[in-house]
Formats: sequence, C-alpha cells, structure tokens
Amino acid sequence: MPGVDHCLQEAMAIPGAVGASIVDYTTGFPVATTGTAPNSDHEAAAAGTADVVQAATSRSLFVSAIPHDLLEDLIITTAGGYHLLRLVHTDFDSRLVLYVWLDRQQGNLAVARRRMQKLADDLIAT
Amino acid sequence: MTPSKTAAPARLFTQVAADRQTGALVVGGHPGGAVYVLEGRVIYAESPAAPGVGELLTASGRLAGRTWQTALDQGTSTAQVGRLLVEQGHLTQGELELCVLGATYDAAYFALSPAAAPVEFLGGAMHWLGPIAHIDPAAVDREVRRRAKLLDDIFPDPRVDTAVVTPVTRPPRERITLTAAQWELLVHADGQRTPADLALLLGRAGFATIQELRRLAALGLLELPEVRAEAPEFVRLPRARGTAVDARRPRVSPGDVPTVPVVSGARPTKPEPPPPSPPPAASPPRPPSPALTEETNANGTLYRPPRLARRKPGAKLPKEVASEPAPVHPGTDEVLLKRIRTALRALR
Repeated sequence: MPGVDHCLQEAMAIPGAVGASIVDYTTGFPVATTGTAPNSDHEAAAAGTADVVQAATSRSLFVSAIPHDLLEDLIITTAGGYHLLRLVHTDFDSRLVLYVWLDRQQGNLAVARRRMQKLADDLIAT
Repeated sequence: MTPSKTAAPARLFTQVAADRQTGALVVGGHPGGAVYVLEGRVIYAESPAAPGVGELLTASGRLAGRTWQTALDQGTSTAQVGRLLVEQGHLTQGELELCVLGATYDAAYFALSPAAAPVEFLGGAMHWLGPIAHIDPAAVDREVRRRAKLLDDIFPDPRVDTAVVTPVTRPPRERITLTAAQWELLVHADGQRTPADLALLLGRAGFATIQELRRLAALGLLELPEVRAEAPEFVRLPRARGTAVDARRPRVSPGDVPTVPVVSGARPTKPEPPPPSPPPAASPPRPPSPALTEETNANGTLYRPPRLARRKPGAKLPKEVASEPAPVHPGTDEVLLKRIRTALRALR
C-alpha cells in the first residue's frame, strides 16, 4: 500500500534525485520530507515552493486559458539542478505539491517528469 | 488526568510531548480543540473550527456518508477507523495519510494558537481514527506559530476569523479579482455563517478558509462589524434628532390634500408646489403615511421622519420574516448532525 513515506522513497529512487518533499502550497508547509533541501532547509524550500505555485495558479493566466485546465507541473532549471513541482490533485480539499530536486548531471528531466506523474497518481488512485 | 487550568496550550503541549506521554490535550474556550499524542508524537488533532477527516472526505464526495458511518461503527471501539477504510479499499493509504496530515495541522492551529485557554490532559486517551500519522511535535509547534504570523501578514485583524462573514454590498473599487476559493466563500456567505460554518459546509480546511477571508478583508470586500460602528459619520444617513422633530410634527388629517408625498431619497431644498391633480390610481384621497414620507408643514419647514437604523443582515429579523420557517441550509444541518453523531459514538 503506497503511503506518503513510500511515495517519497520512490521519488528519491528517480535518477539524480537529491531531495523530495510534499508541500502544502497554501501555507508553504512541508507535510513530509526526505533527502536534502536547497540550503539544507526544507521549511524555507517549502515556503519558496508555495510562492511559485501560488504565482502560477492565482496571479497568471497560464491555468485559465481553457476552462477546467488544471496546472500539472512546474519545472525550474538552474545551472546546477532541476526543480520539479507536480500538483497532487486529491478529491478532498487539499492543496499539495510533490517537489523533487534533481542533480543536473545525473538527472533526466523527461524521465523524472514521467516518474513523478506516476507517483502523484499512485498516491491517490484506488 | 491533570485538572483543567488556564494556561498557554502550546506550552503544555510542548511539555506533554517532551515527556513522551500518550493521551489527549483538550483545549477549552473558543474555538478550542484537542491534540492527540502517542508516546510524544502527534497522531491527530481536532477542533470545531476545522473540518475533520470525516467531514473532508464526505463533504467532497470522496466517501459516501454511509461508507464513513459504517467504518465508524466498526472501528470506533477499537480505534482503527482509518485502517478499516484502507483495508476495505475505500481509500488509498496515501490519501488517508495526506488527509490526516492536513486535518491535524489545521486543527492544531486552532487548538494551540490561543495565548491562554482552559487546558487539561487526558492521559491514555486514544483517537478512534487510530494512529495514521506520527508527526514531530516540534514541527507542529513551529507551524502553528508560523501560521499565526502568515495571517497577520495578510490582514492583522483576528476578528475576521470568528465573526459572521458579511460581504460588502458594493465593492470598494471598479474591478476586483477573486480566486475560485474566494468566490466560493462569498457566494456561500449569507450574513449568518461564521468562517467555521463555511469551512464545514464547503469541506475546506479551516485555516485555508480564514486565510482567504483575511485576504478578502484586506481587499475591503468584507464588512467588519465593530469597524463599521467606528466608521466616519459622513457615510451614514442623516438621523433626525428626536424631540425637536416631534414638536414640529404636523397634524395629519385625511382631507389634507396638498401634502405632497416626496419620494424618499430625493430631498428638495425648498417645498415643491403640489401636483395639479392627484394621480387617478389613488382615487380615495389616501393620507400619506407620516412615518414614511417627508412633508412640509404650514411654516414651510421640512419635516423629515426619523430614519430606521440600518439593520445588519440577520441581526434582528422583523416579525413577518421571523414568523416564516427558518431558511434551510441542508449542507450545514447534515454536517452538524454528522459531527454530533460522531462525537456521541466516540463517547461509547
């Protein structure tokens, strides 16, 4: 039975993964974390993650181009790494995002994105 | 069991967690709540201001009410409602964990944020949901304080969190932008529901609800009852001063035709001449109701009837409205009944 901890373990098994967390993006709080976070601070990373998701969902037009067009993921690339944010759409009210930090050398963006999609779906699928 | 005493809930919580105790920290007052710890780790929290796992799952339609009730019937006495739901295939472990984590942090904010409240610790108490999450108490404590600051950064007025939600009837500017959550809150705010009522009705986290309400208040889209009383005088309608007006009150006789009913709102500065003929619709000469119209007396002074005080929506209903059956809010009643039932079962 895949629980939250299992999901994060699987996320760490993605090639190049350095750290992973599930973040509540209304409050910017890490609900569960594993591995390392940028600057070794999961809570600061979660707050930053929340800001990014909020900006994409509420202050821009990306998600409202088509009715019922839901945000899927946000990808931020830096010289040293990839930061992937995957929205977890639960049926009940929650605002969660799965965050994985990948090493740029070892990580593969396409593979990681597909794996995260499956992880987020498995977490809530029956 | 420690006797109930008034203290800072967060402080007693830290102490209980440090001693690695098992039981429930019950916080009284408003909104109050309870935080359940198992060997010093937080397993669940609940508060009337925050929808619990059952409300979140059933209000969203994720679980049918009957499914939830059956799990309660079977699992409450042995404190394994959560495990039953997963074993019977109604929920995935991931969903349950996420829901419990969300509900726990949500309720913990309401239970632990008051600076002082009657607190007692019930040693050995176990929640009927069973241990699903095991949360570090230090993380809960930090998060509670961080959330309080988040709210104050948006709009530093805690009255928004508890007062009945009343949207302003006229927005303060030409163009406003709302999120989906804010729209939902405004549409369901009927001038009687509190933030906690709205959270339960909509199946949304209590903290997320008051967060959006504080944002709406910051935009000037909510009426703040106490603030309105202090509002500058120029936004209010002029009030007639009691005795001086009564002394000039003209005698109203049915045959007094030239008295002109003036449409309330349009206030002439000088008395207008009477219309040439009364309108044909009012064939019997109807005396204008003295309480509702403005009229001039023989001296030409303008009599302005005392205006009724503006009533807050739902504050005090007039008789004819109050005699009607109360408006039905099926969602609220159902959720309330479910909570009462859940609470009663937990006592068994």
